[in-house]
Amino acid sequence: MKALLDLRVNGEGVRVAVPEAWTLLEALRYAAGLTGTKQGCDKGDCGACTVLVDGKPTLSCLTLAHAVRGEVTTIEGVAGPDGPDPVQRAFDVCGALQCGFCQPGMILSAKALLSRCPQPTDGEIREALSGNLCRCTGYTKIFEAVRLAAAGCERQVPVRYGEPAPGFLVVGARGRKADSIAKATGETLYTDDIQLPRMAHGKILRSPHAHARILSIDTSAADALPGVFATMTGADVPTAYCIIPWTPDETALAVGKVRYVGEGVAAVAAVDEETANRALALIRVEYELLPIVADAAAAVAPGAPLVHELDWKGRPWESNVCKDVDLSFGDVPAGFAAADEVVEGRWFYEGSNHAAIEPHCAIGRWSQDGGLTVWSATQVSHYLHRELAKVLGLRGEDVRVIQPALGGAFGGKSEPFDLEFCVAVLARKAGRPVKILYTREEVFYAHRGRHPMDMAFKVAGTKDGRITAVESDILIDGGAYHSFGLVTTYYAGQLLTGPVGFESYRFRSRRVYTNKPCCGPKRGHGSVQPRFAFECALDELADRLGLDPLEMRRRNVVGAGERTVNGQLVTSSGALACLDAVELASGWKSRRGKLGRGRGLGVATSMYISGTAYPIYPNDMPQSGVLLRADRSGKITIFCGANDIGQGSDGMLAYVISEETGIAPDDITVVSGDTELTPVDLGSYSSRVTFMCGIAAQEAGADLGAKMKAAVAAKWELPVERVRITFGAVVDSEDAGRRVTTRDALILAEAAAGTPLSAVGGYRTRKVGGDYRGGTIGASPAYSATAHVCEVSVDEETGIVRVERVWAAHDCGRALNPQIVEGQIEGSVYMGYAEAIMEAHTFDERGLHTGPNLLDYRIPTSKECPDFLASIVESIDPGGPYGAKEAGEGPLHPIIPAIANAIADAVGVRLRRIPFTPDRVLAAIREARA
Amino acid sequence: MLRMDGFTYRHATSWAHALELWSAHPDARYVAGGTDLLPNVKHGIFKPRTLVGLSGIAGGVELRDDSVKIGAATRLADLAEHPDVQRLLGPLATAAALVASPQIRAMATLGGNILLDTRCLYYNQTESWRQALGYCLKAEGTWCHVIGGPKTCVASQSSDTVPVLLALDAKLHLLGPSGAREVAIRDLYRFNGMDHLAIEPSELLTDVVVPRPGAGFRGSYQKLRTRDSIDFPQLGVAVCGEWAGDTATRLEIVIGAASPQPKPLRGLEAFLGRPLDDAAVLEIAALAHKQTRPQDSVHGGAAWRRQMAAVFVRRALTALRNG
Repeated sequence: MKALLDLRVNGEGVRVAVPEAWTLLEALRYAAGLTGTKQGCDKGDCGACTVLVDGKPTLSCLTLAHAVRGEVTTIEGVAGPDGPDPVQRAFDVCGALQCGFCQPGMILSAKALLSRCPQPTDGEIREALSGNLCRCTGYTKIFEAVRLAAAGCERQVPVRYGEPAPGFLVVGARGRKADSIAKATGETLYTDDIQLPRMAHGKILRSPHAHARILSIDTSAADALPGVFATMTGADVPTAYCIIPWTPDETALAVGKVRYVGEGVAAVAAVDEETANRALALIRVEYELLPIVADAAAAVAPGAPLVHELDWKGRPWESNVCKDVDLSFGDVPAGFAAADEVVEGRWFYEGSNHAAIEPHCAIGRWSQDGGLTVWSATQVSHYLHRELAKVLGLRGEDVRVIQPALGGAFGGKSEPFDLEFCVAVLARKAGRPVKILYTREEVFYAHRGRHPMDMAFKVAGTKDGRITAVESDILIDGGAYHSFGLVTTYYAGQLLTGPVGFESYRFRSRRVYTNKPCCGPKRGHGSVQPRFAFECALDELADRLGLDPLEMRRRNVVGAGERTVNGQLVTSSGALACLDAVELASGWKSRRGKLGRGRGLGVATSMYISGTAYPIYPNDMPQSGVLLRADRSGKITIFCGANDIGQGSDGMLAYVISEETGIAPDDITVVSGDTELTPVDLGSYSSRVTFMCGIAAQEAGADLGAKMKAAVAAKWELPVERVRITFGAVVDSEDAGRRVTTRDALILAEAAAGTPLSAVGGYRTRKVGGDYRGGTIGASPAYSATAHVCEVSVDEETGIVRVERVWAAHDCGRALNPQIVEGQIEGSVYMGYAEAIMEAHTFDERGLHTGPNLLDYRIPTSKECPDFLASIVESIDPGGPYGAKEAGEGPLHPIIPAIANAIADAVGVRLRRIPFTPDRVLAAIREARA
Repeated sequence: MLRMDGFTYRHATSWAHALELWSAHPDARYVAGGTDLLPNVKHGIFKPRTLVGLSGIAGGVELRDDSVKIGAATRLADLAEHPDVQRLLGPLATAAALVASPQIRAMATLGGNILLDTRCLYYNQTESWRQALGYCLKAEGTWCHVIGGPKTCVASQSSDTVPVLLALDAKLHLLGPSGAREVAIRDLYRFNGMDHLAIEPSELLTDVVVPRPGAGFRGSYQKLRTRDSIDFPQLGVAVCGEWAGDTATRLEIVIGAASPQPKPLRGLEAFLGRPLDDAAVLEIAALAHKQTRPQDSVHGGAAWRRQMAAVFVRRALTALRNG
C-alpha cells in the first residue's frame, strides 16, 4: 500500500513513495534520507523525533506521513548558508551535547520557543523543552545554551575559548566537544542511520514466558513467507559466551530453555521490518512451563527451582547463588566492641535501566572473501570483536567491528547482545546485509542495568567520630545470566572503603540468578547500592552520636598516600576539598536543621575507580593504544580503539595530542572504535578512558612533539632543549620572535624523517590492589572523590519530594576540559536523582516487566530536574594524564543517600528503600507520627 | 521501531467529507491529532484497515452571548493559549496546558482529549507484552488484572480537560450518518472501561459548547503525576464555582483519572449559600475521599491517590474561597 507522498521539507519539495501506514519519521529517515531526525521510544514518549510542522514542534513518530500538509523543518534545515544556526552554535559553545542523540529534537524545540518568545524566562525554557528527554546532560547545559542563543550567540567561536591551566597549552581550557557541530546539525551518523545497499531487516522472536523448556521451534511457515530471506534459532549459534570469560552462561538465542520474558528464541531477516514482524508471528514454539524464580528472596528460598541446572563446565548448580564473596579486613568484632553506637538496618535498592535514548542497533555484512563486518551501537568494540569471533567460530582477523556514533550507553551497551550475533548469522544466511534495531521494549529486556540489592548493614562509631566497624550482608538480584556479575559481587563490597574510611570491615555479597532480564553494569557499577545504605547509616550514626554528619565524614577521610581498609592505595584525594566546597556553597553550617519543617539539607560522599586495574581477559599487552598519523597538511589523525559514547573521549584524545604538539584540537581528527583501523583499547567502561587512553595519547603525542622539536632545532641549528612548543607554533625559548607554525614544524619533521610521520603510545597495566583473592577487583590506579549536599522540600500532605538543588563537588584529579567534566558531573547527578525519585525497573509475579516503555518507566524531564551546581576539585593525581582521574561515574553515587539524608533533615523520617515515591514518603511520615 | 502495518489513509477536508469517507469504509476509524490512537495501533490494540484523517479540519474558538463554542479540532496548545479561554474558562486553559508535552499539545485536539480511550497499565502495552500477560478483559482477553475478575474493566478515563468540561456543564455536538445531535458531556461516559463512550463509531465530535460561567466564577484544575510533563494524570481534580466572597452559590467538583468515568462529587448542595469555613472545606474533602475509588489501573497506588483527592479538593477550595 505504498503511495506517492509529496512533502515540503526544509524549503524543498520531496517526493517519495511510502506506505500509507508510515509515520512522518519513517518517511523522513528511511525514504527521504533525512536521518538527523531520531527515534528513541517508538511512540511519542521521548521527543527525539521532534520536527517542526509550520513552525510547531511535532512528534514525527505519531504523525502519519500522508496526513502532513504543512512545511516540515528537520534538523538538516536549521543551519543556513552561513553555517550553523545560533542555537546550534550555542549548544556547541555551552557543551550542551554529549551523545547528541536527543539534540536534533531538542534544538528544534528550542528554535520554536525562541521564534515565538525571543527572551524566554528560565521557566519558559524548561517548559518548552519538557517533551524532549535527555539522558546525558541533566539539562543544565542545555538551559545555558538556550539562554545564550536568546542573548545572541556569535556565529564564529574560537576553537579554544577558555584559559588553559597555568603552564599548559590547552589542558584546563573550556573547549568544545570534538563532534558537537556535526551532532547539532544532524550530520552525525548513528548505527540506525546507516543504510547499506540490499540491506534486509531483522527481528527477534522473544519468549512470552519467564521460565520454560523449549520443546520445539518450527520456522517453516516463516521461511515460506514471501519477502523472508532467512530465519535462525539458538541451534545456529549454540556457543556460550559472557563478557567475563570465566562465566560463559549465555547464548545468542535461547538453547534448551528460556529464562526471562523477552529472551530471544528465533530471528528472521526480511525485506522490511513489517514483513519480518509478520514472519515472527508465523513461528511456532512449543514450551513446557517451569516454575519461576521471581526475585532474590525466592532464589535463595529452600527448594527454589533452579534457573540454571548446569554451569559452563557441565557441573550441576546446587542453588541459584552464582557468586558468593565473603571478605573481612581488620578486627571487626573489636571494632564493634569499641563503638559507642551501632546503626543496624536493611536497605533496599531497586533496579533501574540505563534508558539511553538511542535503542541498540546493529548491522552485519559479509564480504565475498568471508570477512564479517558488524556496525554496532556498542561501548566495547574490542570485546564484541572477540566474542563474535568465538561464538561464530571465526578467526579474529576475519571480523571487523565498527562503532558508529553512539546515542548514549551508561553501561547498557558494554557487552555483546543477541542482535549482534543475529545480524551476523542472518546476513550470512540471507546473503545480504542485515540490520536489527531494538524496540524500546527490547532495550528493557536486554537491560544489564542496576542490580536490585537487599542490603543489611551495621555501622559502628565512637563519640569522637571514628568509624570503627562496618559489616554488610548483601543479596544481589542478578537476573537470568552472569554478565559482569562476578565483578558486581565484588564491587558491592570492595568500592565502599573510601573516601570515608573505617577501621574494620566485613562484607558478604551473594549474587543470585532469577527469571528476569539480566542485570549488569549501570553507571556506578555495583557500588551505587551499598553506597546508599552506608551513607544513610552513617548519617544516622552521626545523629545518634550528636555529631555533624559532614564533620564526621571529614574526620574519617582516607587521605592521599594512605590505603583503605581493604588495601587500595589512594594516590590522590580531593575528598576534604570536596566536603569544604559543598559545605560552603550550600551554607551547610548556618542552614542545616534550620530550614523549617518540610525543608532540609543532606550530605553524602563517594569514591570511584579510574578504570579497573586489569583487563577482563588476562594478557600482557597494553590496555590502550594510540597511533598518530601526521603530515604536511598540518593536521593530525588519532587512531584509538576507545569508544566515544557521548562522554567525549574523542575530544579528550584531541586535547591531549593538542597539548603535546601545539596543534589546535579542531585540526585533529579522531578515528576511534573500529577494530580494523584502530589500535586496541578495551572500551568505555569502569571510567577507564581518560586515565588509560589519556596516558597512551600523552606518550604518543610527546613522541610526535619531540620529532617536531628536533626537526625545528636542526633547521635552526640549536640544541633541541631550546625549542619549545606553544599553541600553534614551535618557538625558540630564548628568542620569542623566532617561530615556525606547527604546520611548518610538521613539514620539517616529515622532510627530516623521510617517511610519513607517526607515533604510538600505550597504557600498560600497573600492578595495584590488595594481596588476597579478589584484591585486584576494585583495584584502580587512581580513585576519584565526590561530595554532594542537596536541598529538598517535602510536602507532608502528599509525600511529594522535590529536590531543589544539588551542590556537587567532584575531584577529577585535573580537569582536562572543565566544561566536559562539568557535563559528566551534572549528568551523573541527574541519573542518581532519577533513581532516587522515580525510576523503577520492576517485574510482577509472572516475571513480566511492569512497563517496558518510556511512558511507564519514567525518566525526568526538564521541568522537575533540580538545579545541578557542579564544582570541580583538582587533586592532581601523580599517575594520571596531567593528573587527571575519572569524572563520569563517581558523582552519581552520593546524590541518592544525600536526598534520603535531606528528607530526614526535612521531616525526620529515614527512608531505606528507593525510589522515594510519594506514597512511601507519606506512609513513613504517618508512621513516624503514630 | 514499532511499525504500523496494513491500513490505508484517507484525508478529510471537512466534517461532511469525513463522514463521506467513513461511509465508504465502514470499518474505518477517525484520527485527528493521532497522539492517542497511533500508540494503540502501534501496540496492535487496534488493527484498522482504514484511517480517516481529521487533521485537515480547522478548529477555533467562538464567543457567543451565553457560551463559548470551541471547535473539536482545536489543538490543545491553541486552546491553552487562547486569551478568551484563559479569561472566561481559566480552569479549561489550565487543564489543556497540563496535558502531556508541548509537542503533544501542538498536535492533539480537544475532541481527541474528550474521546480519549481509557488507559490501563495492562492495556497500553505492546502486542508481545500483552501476549505474555495473556491479554486482558479490555482487549482480546477475559480477565481484568487490576481487580482480578472477568466482568468489569476499570481502565481509567485519563483526560485532563474532561473533569473541567464536566464541571462547566459543557455540551457536545455530534455528527453522524443520521444527522447531528447534542449530548451533555455529563452523559457521555459510562462506568465501563471497555466501552466508556456513549457514541457511535461513525459519529464525529464537531464542537464543544461551554456555557459562560456566571458572575463570581472561580475555578481550578489540579493534576497529580510523577513528572511535571509528558505524564497522564494519576488524578485530576476540577473545582468550578460561582462565589460571593467565601460563599459559593454554585459548586461543581469533578474527579478524573480514578475510574472509567469522570466522577462529579455528590452532596455539594448542602454547602451552597453559606461561608465555606475550614470545617466545611474539610467536610467536602471527606466527601471527595469517600466518593473517589481509584483503581490500580494507572500509576501512583490507589490508596494514595484516594488520599490525594481529599488533599487536592481541600487545597482548591481553600484557595478559591479566598479569591
